[in-house]
Amino acid sequence: MMWAGIVLVILGTLVGIFLGLNIPVSLPEYYAVYTSVAALAAVDSVLGGIRAAVDDSFDHVIFISGFFTNAMLAAGLVFIGDRLGIDLYLAAVVAFGVRIFQNVSLIRRHLLNRK
Amino acid sequence: MPQKYYVYISLSLVAITLGFLMAVQFRVSGDYNIGIPRENTQELSQELKQLKSNNKNLQAELSDLKIKLKQVNAGQAQAVQALKSELKKGRMAAGMVTVTGPGVEVILDNPKSSEHSQSNTLFIIRDQDLLKVINELRGAGAEALSINGERIIATSEVRYAGSFINVNTKRIVPPYQVLAVGDPQALEHALAIPGGLRDYLGNLGIKVKIKKHEELTVPAYFKENNFKYAKSM
Repeated sequence: MMWAGIVLVILGTLVGIFLGLNIPVSLPEYYAVYTSVAALAAVDSVLGGIRAAVDDSFDHVIFISGFFTNAMLAAGLVFIGDRLGIDLYLAAVVAFGVRIFQNVSLIRRHLLNRK
Repeated sequence: MPQKYYVYISLSLVAITLGFLMAVQFRVSGDYNIGIPRENTQELSQELKQLKSNNKNLQAELSDLKIKLKQVNAGQAQAVQALKSELKKGRMAAGMVTVTGPGVEVILDNPKSSEHSQSNTLFIIRDQDLLKVINELRGAGAEALSINGERIIATSEVRYAGSFINVNTKRIVPPYQVLAVGDPQALEHALAIPGGLRDYLGNLGIKVKIKKHEELTVPAYFKENNFKYAKSM
């Protein structure tokens, strides 16, 4: 189950990249920071999902809602930070970064234990 | 089992979103070259404004200079025209161009040796006689002169060299044909006046023929003018 998940993730990412490179509209440079934070949230969510899968505690409702909530929250932080003149998106970056490392280490441990 | 499918579906959905966002991000970075930190935008926009006004000024200057250049070019064309016409006049005055016009043809020939067999040399045409003819024609307003096809210019000589007469250092032989462009009437009168040059030369036994022409051609001076000593001031 977990291996299928990883394969799916990789395939899905490739499909997404293909789609993103082929859409005709280009995002204004001003919004680049929003998409970057959203992408970070997506990475976090995917890793979190994989971790949940290896723990056998995966719930797709929590997964999907968590992904969108995190992305929205991060984008909102960027927006507010922009208004306030603070680089508030750093908070999102740090939070996601920490979680990404945690999830990766958990996955790694799980994989090593299995072998 | 359906639970599993949900897992796959949601995982791939999020993965697709992730890939999509990443790709958009790449494109944005590629398109805008990321090298513009947002703090600099104000500075840059100011610079842009300044450059725009500079550009405007330079455009104005460009059009101004273009107009000036046009004027200068027009002036140059006129100057070239003036110089060309001046050069033409100069060449004309110096005898460097072939000219045509009304004038007279004067033919001088030595008397036949049969008539004055014993002393032929006495009645031969001298350089002075030719010079007198030329001088008289010039006095009557001749504008271009030639002797036997040799144009008479400012430096031309007419003088004996041995038993021949040289004009422009070229030996000429009788009969001597003098061409003069000018008022045919005046030129003829200057020579044919009673007691004038024709009578004088005729008395010496020289045959003088004066013909008026509506149109005759006086050749140009062909040699090169080399000024070795004279320098223009």
